[in-house]
Parts: sequence; C-alpha cells; structure tokens
Amino acid sequence: MSQEPGLAPAGEHAGYHGYPRVNYWSVFYALCVLTALSVVADLVGEGRSKIIIGLIVLAIACFKAMFVMLYFMHLKFEGKWKFVLLAPTIILAMAIPAALMPDIGSHYYDYEVPQTTESAAAEHDAHGGGSPGEAAAAPEH
Amino acid sequence: MSHATDVHAHAPPLPHAPALKMGVPIPNGKLGMWLFLGTEIMFFTALIGTYIVLRLGSKGWPTNPDITHIRVWAGGTNTFVLITSSVFVVLAHEAMALRNYRRATNWIIATTALAFVFLGIKAYEYYGKYDHDILPHHVAESSEQALSKLAVELDAAIGLIALQQEETHLANEVLAKQGQGGVESLEKQLASVRANIAKLNPAVEAARPLRDGAKYRQISLAEAAEQLRRLKENPDVGRQFRSVHEPHPIKWGNTFASVYFTMTGFHALHVVIGMIMFAVIIWLGLANKLGPHHEVAVENCGLYWHFVDLVWIFLFPLIYII
Repeated sequence: MSQEPGLAPAGEHAGYHGYPRVNYWSVFYALCVLTALSVVADLVGEGRSKIIIGLIVLAIACFKAMFVMLYFMHLKFEGKWKFVLLAPTIILAMAIPAALMPDIGSHYYDYEVPQTTESAAAEHDAHGGGSPGEAAAAPEH
Repeated sequence: MSHATDVHAHAPPLPHAPALKMGVPIPNGKLGMWLFLGTEIMFFTALIGTYIVLRLGSKGWPTNPDITHIRVWAGGTNTFVLITSSVFVVLAHEAMALRNYRRATNWIIATTALAFVFLGIKAYEYYGKYDHDILPHHVAESSEQALSKLAVELDAAIGLIALQQEETHLANEVLAKQGQGGVESLEKQLASVRANIAKLNPAVEAARPLRDGAKYRQISLAEAAEQLRRLKENPDVGRQFRSVHEPHPIKWGNTFASVYFTMTGFHALHVVIGMIMFAVIIWLGLANKLGPHHEVAVENCGLYWHFVDLVWIFLFPLIYII
C-alpha cells in the first residue's frame, strides 16, 4: 500500500486487521476547519441566496462525511465488499424522496392553506382592496 | 532417511483446494453492524429527504432565528462535540488493538462524557422550543389561529372551564338522585366546586376583555399582545397568566416543528443507544474483563458512533444554516 499524507507506514505500526496507522488528530483538525467554514459561509452569506449557501454548506458536509467514512470508519482500507453492501442501500434510500417529490416537492396546481390565503388577503389590502383589515395588519413572521 | 521420504521432499506440491470462505472477509459481527448501518442510512435518508421535499414544496419557511429559536452556536458546538467524540472512540479502538484495555476504557469514558454534553445542549435547545410553544400542532400559522390559540390558553390559565364542567356534572347527578341516599355528599362537592369558581372571579374579570376580544376576533394581534402584557403585570392575578404565550403566527411553523423534532429526536435517540453500548464497555473495562475477544465489539460500537456523527454532519447545515 502506498504511503499517503496522514498515514504512517504499514508494518509494525499497522493497526488492527492490517489497517495502516492513521493520524486521527489530523483528520479531526480537518473536520474542525470544515465545520468553521460552514459557520463562516452562514455569516458571510447573510442576506444572499439561500440556494448558493445551501449548496456550499452541503458540499462541505459531504467532504466532512467523506473524512469520517474513509478514516474513522476505515472504509479507505476495506475491501470491495463495501461497494456491494452500500451501493444498493444508497439507491434504495433515494426511493422515498423520489416518490414524494412529484406531489409534495413540486406543485403544478394552486393550493389554499391558511398561510397563503392570509398572504393573499394582505396583498389584496395593500393594493387598495377592502377588508379584511385584520389580516393585513398581521405581522409577517 | 528412506527413499520414499526423499521422493516426497522433491515432488511438486499437490494442488490443494482453496479453503472455502463464504461471505465477505470480515468478522460476522462487523458484517452485521454494516448491514444494520445500511438500514440506518435508508432510515435517515428518508427523514432528511422528506424534510428537503417538504421545504421545497412550501411557499415559505421560518428561518429567522429569533422566531425559530434555532441557535447556530448550539448546533456548531454540538458538531464539535460529536467530531471530538468520534476521535475518542476511534482511539479507543486503536488502544484495543494494542491490547491497552485501560486506555481503551478511558477513551470510551471520555466519549460517553461528550455524549452527555451533546444531550445537554440538545435539551437546552428543546427547552427553548417548548418555552415558546414551537411544537408540532401547537403553532398558529395565521392571525386568526393566533387569536384563537390565545383565547384557549387564557381559558386554560384561568381553569374555569374544567370547574364549570365539573359543576354541570355534579348538578345533574344531584338532580337525578333527588329523594335517594347520598345526595348530601354530592351537594357538598357541588358547593365546594362553586366556591372554587367564585374564587376565580378576579382572574376571569381581569382576562375577560382580552379573552372575548381574541375569541371573537374583535382586536388586532398588536392590541392582544399589549393587553396580555398588561394582564401579566397585574399584581393580583398576573402570576396566573405567565404560561400564556404572546400571540404571533409562524407561517409553516408546524411543518418546521414536525421535521425538526422528528430528525433531531431520532438522532438523539441514537445517541442514547450509543451511550448504553458504551456503558457496557465501560463496565467490562472497569471490571478488568475487556480482552482480545472484545476488539470487534468495540470496533462495532465505534462504527455505530461514527454513523451518529455522520448524520449530525448533515443535520447541522440543513437545520441550522440553510
């Protein structure tokens, strides 16, 4: 196995079941830096597009998850069984979000719920419409 | 040495059939843990995926931390706590491989201590939600709902309705049992209930304008909030209304509360289960019973704990930042 940054040479320092010895504290520092980056992205992104901030922080989360899986869970050093075991799981995991998306995630029809009817009434009032004045006076939270 | 022995010494080795090995080249316990983690991946992906779908499908979402009481510092601190605990548990596994069982036990104790810290911060966050009544099915999502909720909470704080129901029930029983035995006892109870109702009169009278105004929607939210503030400052009955929440609607607040408590609640439950596993290892370690045959068990506990950490790694940005 070729030596990589953060890894001690295999042999007498090899860990359990032949895992190369990993400098776990380096991984820990990397995870801390990535967590801090997430918070910085939140602070810097105040008032900017939630989609862009969301993509950035989720990308950072993916990097953090990769570090945990590769080094803490030793998947980097495991055999190919990991693909056989995890690939179907990940495919099946997408089933519920995929099933919900067409009906709940994306609407092709108008729907009336208290939140939208009140907003509509407030908008109506703001454009010179009549009552219900109370709805217009309601603070927007 | 015989001739036959020499022949065997120089003969090519016989082709032996390879040892039959079924399954994957890892201990059965570890395979079981990975299969379990596979089901856990599906479970949490369903929860997180449902949250994303619901959020994409809503025309709005409460994101103001002053309203949702979501604290980035609390989530960030908990992320740091779980990452640190992940290092500790993998160091425990390493110590087990080096047969240093005392050190392994100490790392597991440190991991468990951090799990307590995580749950403490989570409890603080949950208390904030409870205190502001940001709970599924409790959040008013329009002005009308906020006023109705205020009227209901005022009634509950006064406690009159329960007593009135009891009074009606007792009065009916007294009427039904007229001329029979045991009526005196019922009449005593009825008199006691009526006396308690009379004691509530000051609170009823103090809250009546606000309660009626809210119930029949004759006042605005701002007026209701101001009247409630004054009612709570009333030196005689104000104490009774401390639990009544300021009326303000949080649009999509119930969906928000549902997904927040479902995701973080199940995650916290996994933390507690991890702590129970660690408690067993700590008990074995302190009793000097940890041995080489526990290496796979400690590794499995570590794998489980890293998964708990992984889930939080995604919950933190999804709940606290986006």
